[in-house]
Amino acid sequence: MALFASCGEALVLGLASGPACIAACGPVLVPSLLAERAGWRPHVRYLSAFLAARLLGYMLFAVVAWELGALASMLPAPRLLMMGAIYVLLAGVLLWYAYSSRRSCASSCTDSKLVQIGDSRSRGVAGAAALGLLTGLNLCPPFIAAGIRASQLGSMAAALLFFAAFFLGTSLWFVPFISLGCIARNQAVLTVARMAMALIALYYLSMGIAMLLGKKSYGY
Amino acid sequence: MATEARTLPLARPAPRGILWSLFLTLPIFIWSLLMMGFHPGAKFDLVSIIAAILTTLFMTALFFMMMRTHSTYRWRRIFFVSLGVLFPIGFIHDLVVARGTMGIPIEEMIAGRTPFCFMPIPMLILPAAFTRTLIFPGSFASATHGIAVMVGLWLALTLVMGKGWCSYACFFGGIEEGVAAIPPRARIRKLDPRLRFVPWAVLLAMVLLSLALFEPAYCMWLCPFKAVTEYVAARNLLGMVQNVIFILLFAGLVIVLPFLTKKRTQCSWFCPFGAFQSIFNKISIFEMKIDQSRCHPCLLCQNACPNLSLSKESIARGETLLSCMKCGACVDACPRQAIVWHIKGTQIAWKPERARLMFIYGAWALAIMFGGTIIANGLATILHFVV
Repeated sequence: MALFASCGEALVLGLASGPACIAACGPVLVPSLLAERAGWRPHVRYLSAFLAARLLGYMLFAVVAWELGALASMLPAPRLLMMGAIYVLLAGVLLWYAYSSRRSCASSCTDSKLVQIGDSRSRGVAGAAALGLLTGLNLCPPFIAAGIRASQLGSMAAALLFFAAFFLGTSLWFVPFISLGCIARNQAVLTVARMAMALIALYYLSMGIAMLLGKKSYGY
Repeated sequence: MATEARTLPLARPAPRGILWSLFLTLPIFIWSLLMMGFHPGAKFDLVSIIAAILTTLFMTALFFMMMRTHSTYRWRRIFFVSLGVLFPIGFIHDLVVARGTMGIPIEEMIAGRTPFCFMPIPMLILPAAFTRTLIFPGSFASATHGIAVMVGLWLALTLVMGKGWCSYACFFGGIEEGVAAIPPRARIRKLDPRLRFVPWAVLLAMVLLSLALFEPAYCMWLCPFKAVTEYVAARNLLGMVQNVIFILLFAGLVIVLPFLTKKRTQCSWFCPFGAFQSIFNKISIFEMKIDQSRCHPCLLCQNACPNLSLSKESIARGETLLSCMKCGACVDACPRQAIVWHIKGTQIAWKPERARLMFIYGAWALAIMFGGTIIANGLATILHFVV
């Protein structure tokens, strides 16, 4: 009974903090989705890979943090280091994504088959999975809230179940992103998406390096 | 209507009569007086009244010349460059008087004591929609206007004028337009058309990052005009890095590239607010159209456009690109009067001067309301040192 109650609580927590989750994942998700082919199928495929990898990230973090006893009380210094490393990796994947889509529209964008990430379908899925995993490991505020609550549970299995229910609640907020598939793709959309990815990657890279060096995020 | 369009003269029309031009200028003169604060009960010191009189005469004279010569761009440019130069002078002076420094610390920003700027408007929307929170709680020095009033005013004017805002109300674009006017010819002529997409990418990235970080990301990291308004009160290395980014972007996009290309490069290749304004060109009733029956594609209009808003393809379609700022440079440059001001829903080249007048009255009223008061403030600052 207590298990069901904690799952219900995690689901509600996920639903309530969904907007914060999509805000945190938006800079990664929106441009990379816009660089996908038009249509709902590629978007469902991309989002499925992204969310599955994000769940994996959640679970990995929960297991490791539980074992280390750091689910609720990670010290600021290692937290900064971990976020710095994730930001640098995110920047790397985003830059690779932006670069690998360079040939997408080389000959013509009138044929939607030509508009894809690189030359293969697997590259899009791999990219989505990499981004999903890294955003899953990103210590955003809702994730930390879920971590603190999960740490109060009796066992690792219960904590994992809590995270899974929390993931389900937040994931419902990602469903509307499929509608980005309705936006027609052309040279302009693809170029804008690639440039935006590069800009966001530069931001993550600078923030990541600053965090790895132990600097604050603000210079004010 | 079609007959009238065909009978438009190919050469530029003769100047309007002085009396008729004065009559057309009269409403603008009255509006200038009102906006400069000349109303019963108003109190001025000597410097303020001199600045207000000079600004009224300046704005009225420019409008008179627009009426008399049928030309828009060159007179608008004088106003716009003056605005761009005088804005930092008045603004920095006010900042130093109020705060003692141009540097803004984070606590001042959080407390909403940052002067309001229109640049973060696109970045406010998503955080406000999700959390009903303003991530840039800017305010006015007079504290008589709320941010909602300013945003409402911007929206009303933008719905009518579209991206005309960037040519008649923006107080940032004047410096680069002035720099672009200095060299006799462009040193760099081949410009990659894909650069037009950069403002949209900056807009997308900054809107998403602003939502994620809950701060106006553009103002924190990329605004070139921080270099001449209020910079980061740097308290550590990262603050220094932010200021270096602002200065480099200002030097590159506002000084060096406009000089080399004779274009408004910051507006064309970077400004996310400009990209956001472009969307409203779809709604605005005013647009520029190319009368295909008169156009012999000489591309003078494309060369004259300061914002890269004309391409061979768009000229062939008889229209400008979405990024058109309605500055009138292309109209003035066309030797065959093929490019005209146009009101949506009417036939192309149907009474273009009437469409121009309808746009210019609104645009100039806006220019006086925002730009005129800023020019007067800048003049007053200079006069304070002189008188």
